[in-house]
Amino acid sequence: MRISTSWGQQQAVNSMLDRQYDLSQTQLALGNGKAIQTPSDNPSAAARAVDTNSASAQNDQYTRNIQSATTRLSVEETALSSAGDILDRIRSLTLEGTNGTQTDESRQSIATELRQTLKQLVALGNTKDGQGEYIFAGSRTTTQPFTIDGLSVSYGGDQSQRMVAAAAGLQVATGDSGSDVFMSIRGGNGTFITSAGATNTGTAVVGSTSVTDASAWDGGSYTINFTSPTRYEVHDATDPTGPALSTGTYSGDSGTINFKGAQLNITGTPATGDTFAVGPSSSQDVFSTVAGIINAFEMPGGGPAMNNQINAQLQNLDQAATSFLDTRTKIGARMNTLDQQTDIGADVKLQYADTLSNLQDLDYASAISKFSQQQSALDAAQQAYVKMQNLSLFNYLK
Amino acid sequence: MADLLSTGVSGLLASQVGLATVGHNISNVNTAGYTRQTTTFDARTPQFNGGYYIGQGADAVSVQRAYSQFLTQSVWSANSGQSRALQYAGLTAAANNAVSGSANLQSALDGFFGAVSDVANAPVDTASRQALIGKANSLVSTFRSLSSQFQNIDQQTNQQISSAVDSINSLAKSIADLNAQIQRASVGGASPNDLLDARDQAISQLSQIVGVNVSQGADNTVTISVGNGQPLVNGTDATQLSTATNQYDSSRLEIVGPTGSVISNQFGSGSLGASLDFRTNVLDPARNQLGRAAIAMTDAFNKQHAQGIDLNGDQGGKFFDIADPAVLNSTANKGNAQVTATITDVGKLGSSDYIMRYNGTGWTVTTTAGVTVPSTGTGAAGDPILVDGMAITVPSGTPQAGDSFQIQPTRNAASTMSVAISDTNKIAISGPLAATKSSSNTGKGALGDLTVTDVNDPAFKTPVDIVFTSPSTYTINGGPPQNYTDGDTITGNGWTLKLTGTPAANDTFSVKPAGSASGDNGNGLALADVANKGVLDNGVTTVGKSYSQLIAQVGTAGAQANTALDAQQSILDQAMSSQQSLSGVNMDEEASNLLRFQQAYAASAQVINAANTIFDSLMSAVRG
Repeated sequence: MRISTSWGQQQAVNSMLDRQYDLSQTQLALGNGKAIQTPSDNPSAAARAVDTNSASAQNDQYTRNIQSATTRLSVEETALSSAGDILDRIRSLTLEGTNGTQTDESRQSIATELRQTLKQLVALGNTKDGQGEYIFAGSRTTTQPFTIDGLSVSYGGDQSQRMVAAAAGLQVATGDSGSDVFMSIRGGNGTFITSAGATNTGTAVVGSTSVTDASAWDGGSYTINFTSPTRYEVHDATDPTGPALSTGTYSGDSGTINFKGAQLNITGTPATGDTFAVGPSSSQDVFSTVAGIINAFEMPGGGPAMNNQINAQLQNLDQAATSFLDTRTKIGARMNTLDQQTDIGADVKLQYADTLSNLQDLDYASAISKFSQQQSALDAAQQAYVKMQNLSLFNYLK
Repeated sequence: MADLLSTGVSGLLASQVGLATVGHNISNVNTAGYTRQTTTFDARTPQFNGGYYIGQGADAVSVQRAYSQFLTQSVWSANSGQSRALQYAGLTAAANNAVSGSANLQSALDGFFGAVSDVANAPVDTASRQALIGKANSLVSTFRSLSSQFQNIDQQTNQQISSAVDSINSLAKSIADLNAQIQRASVGGASPNDLLDARDQAISQLSQIVGVNVSQGADNTVTISVGNGQPLVNGTDATQLSTATNQYDSSRLEIVGPTGSVISNQFGSGSLGASLDFRTNVLDPARNQLGRAAIAMTDAFNKQHAQGIDLNGDQGGKFFDIADPAVLNSTANKGNAQVTATITDVGKLGSSDYIMRYNGTGWTVTTTAGVTVPSTGTGAAGDPILVDGMAITVPSGTPQAGDSFQIQPTRNAASTMSVAISDTNKIAISGPLAATKSSSNTGKGALGDLTVTDVNDPAFKTPVDIVFTSPSTYTINGGPPQNYTDGDTITGNGWTLKLTGTPAANDTFSVKPAGSASGDNGNGLALADVANKGVLDNGVTTVGKSYSQLIAQVGTAGAQANTALDAQQSILDQAMSSQQSLSGVNMDEEASNLLRFQQAYAASAQVINAANTIFDSLMSAVRG
C-alpha cells in the first residue's frame, strides 16, 4: 500500500500527541490523587460520589448534633445531681427538726436554713446551658423559668422538650421541662395522699402509707373518722354523713388502717372526732413540699399537727427525689443512645470514606504502572518518528 | 534521419512534463487537500513507411489527479462525523467542568442543612442564625453561579452557530466561484487539477461544519445541499443562510434559510449540528434540571418554614424567593393576550419547556419537542390551565388564532433564586403548637409526639382541650366521646398528637398555639429534615438527589461524547488513510520518478546527440 508522506508524518505526530495527552491525564491524576477529574470520566461513580459525600456530610452533622445534645444533657445531669444532694440535706434537716428535743427556736433556725436551701433549689431550676438558655424552661428558654416570692415558687416555662436529630429518623430529647422535673411530682405515696383534719386534738400521726391491692383502690376521696380513740369509720368524702363504707378498730397507740386496698400506718392516740382525709395523689411541686416543711417548722409548738404535716411532706420529698432520679435515669438512657449513635456514626463515616475512596480515589500502584507504560509508549513513538524521518530516498541522491 | 531528432525531442519534452509534475508533487507535499498528479504518456502515431511503421516518439497527453470520488466523499462524510463529535465533546467538557468546578451544589446544600441543624440545636443563638443566613446566601450563589456558567455555555453555542453560518456562507460562495473557474478551465476536456483540489478542500472544510450532499453537475461543477436537502451551491450560484433570534426566546439564535423559514432542526452532523444538538439535548435539560432543583429547594423549604414561628412570635415567612415560570411571547403573535404561569405542585414539575397555542377557540399545550400534554381548564382566572404542576392563566388581552407562547418553568429559575430573609429573628425555628398536660391530672397519661399535618387548616390555631371522661374515652372540646387505647394518635385541626399511658377521668391535655416559645426547635428539626424529603417526581426525589442526577446526566453526555469522538476519529483516520494512500504524495515514489524522468531526459538528449553524430558523419562523408 502506498503511504502518503505528509499523512504518514501527521499520523506519527498524532500518535505522539495522543500518547502525550494520555500521559498528561495520568500525570494530572497522580498530581491530585483523583480517579475522576470530571463527571464524564465515570458518570455513575461521580453521581454516587456526590450522594455519598452528602450522606457523609449529614452523618458528620448528626455527630455535631449529638455533641451539642450531650453537652446539654450533661448540664442537666449535673444540675439534677446537685438537686438530689440538696433534697438529701433537706431530708436530714427535716428529720432533725422532728426530733422531740427541738424547741420552737431550734426549729426556727432549721427553717431558716431550709429557706436557704429552697433558694438553692430554685437556682438549680434556673440552670443555664452553655448558650445561656435555661435548660428547665421547656421551650421558653430565654425566660427565667422559676421565680420565688417568699415561699411560693412559680413556673413560667412550658412542657415542651427540645429534641435533637441523632440519626435519620431518630430524635432524642436533650432536656426535660421544669414542669416535668420539679412541678408535676405526684404527691403522697404516688397513689394517694393523706392529711390530718385541721381540728384534730389527738396525737395520732399518719406515718408511712402504701397500696396493698392496686385493683381495689379506686382513686376516690375518703375520710377516716375516729368515733372513739379505738374505733374508726371510713366515709366517702363527698358524702360524709352517709353510711360508713367500712369500720374498724384501732389499738389506741399504733396500728394500721386498711380499706379499698390502701394501708395507713398510724401512731399515737386519736381523739374522738379526729379525722384523716385520704385522696388520690395530685401533683405537688418540690418547692411547695419544702415550703410545707418550713411552714410546719415555723408553726409554734410542734406536736402531732406538725408531725402529720412533716410526715406527709417527707413522702412528697421522697417522690421528688424519685422524680429527680427517674429523670437522671432517662438522661443516662439518652446519653447511652447518643453514645451508641456516635459509635455507629463513626463506623458509618469510615464506610462512607471507604466508599468514596473506592469511587473517586486514584489507585496509585496501577496509575504509576500506567504512567510508565505510557511513558515508554511515547518514547517509542518519538524514536520511531525520528528513525522514520531518516528514511528517505532523497538521502541517497547526491 | 530527421525523425530521430524529432523523436529525441519528443522524449525530452515528455520527460520535462514528467519532471514538472514530479516537481509540482514534491512542492505540494504539505499542501492540504492536494492530490498527487501523474503524467500520462502516449506513443506518437507511427509513420507508415511502405511495409512497416516507424515510431515517432512520445507525447505527454495528460496530467491527471490520482483521485477517487468515492474515497474523497468518504473523507467528507467522516469529516462531518468527526468534527461533530469533536465539537460535542468540547461543549460537554465545558458543561462537565461547570459541574465539577468550585461551584459544588452538593456541598453548598450540605453546608446549608448543617447550619439549619445547628440552629435547631441552639434556637436562640444569634450567631448560629447568622451563620444559617450566610450559608443560605452561599447556597443561592452556588445555584446562580452554576446557572450563569450554563448561560455562558449557551452564549458560546450562540456564537458558534453564528460563526458557523458565516463560514458556511463564505465557503458556499468560494465553491460557487471555483465552480465558475472550473467550468471555464474545463473547456476542451482538460482537467484543471489544482482548481479541483481547491474546490474539494473547500467542500472538505464545509463538511466539517455541516454534513454535505455533493453531486456532480455539468461542466465539472458540483451541486451541494445541506441538512434536509437545503440547496447551498448550485453550479455558479451560492445560497446564503442567516441567523435570527428565536421567535420566543431572544437569547437564542436559530438558522434561517433563504426563504425565511427556520431550519435549525435540519442539521445533524458537522460542528454546527453538534452545537444545535448539544443545546437541545444536553444544555437545556441540564439547565432545566438545575432550575427544577432550585424551585424544589425553595418550595419545600418555604413550605416547612411557613409552619414555624419566628423569634418575633410570627408565623414564618418566605425563606427563599424564586421567579415564577418564564412565559415568552412569540414575535408572530397578532393578539394582545398576556399569559402568566405559576407552579402549583413541584412534585409534578418536569424538566420540559412548553408551547401554548391558541387555535381560535381554546388553548393547546405541547412540549417544545411537539408532544401534546394533557391539560385541564380554560385559562380564565378562575379556571387556570393545569399542566404538569403548573397553573397557566390568561389574565388580560385577547388572543388570536395561531398566537403562541413558550413557557420555560425551570430554565432560568436557578438564576432568579434569592434569600428572602436578612433578619435573624425571622427564621422560624419554633413549632407552631404546644401540647400541655394539665397539672391537676391524676392519671398516668403522657404526651407523645405532636405533629403538624396541615398548617392551613382554618381551625389550626383554635385551642383544643382533650378531656378524658374515663380512662378509655375522651372528648375534644366537649364533642362526642371517642375511644382511647394506650398509644393512640389523636387527630386535631391540622395536627396529630400521640398519647401514651393510662389517663384518669377528668384528665386534660391541651394543644394550643405555642406563642413565642423561642427555645422550641420543632420546626427547626423539620427544616433540617427537608434535606431528606422527596419533593420532586411525585415525592420521590430529594433536592440533593436531583443534583446528583444532573451530574450523572452531564457526565453521561460527556462520556458518550468522548467515546463517539474516539470512534469518529478512527473512522476519519481510516477514510483519510485510504484517500491519502491513493492521493497523497509519497516522497520516495517522487524521488524515484524524479530519477526516472531525469534518466529519460538524459537518454533523450543522447538520442538527439546520436542524431547529431549521424548527421555529422553524413556531412563529413559528403565533404570528404
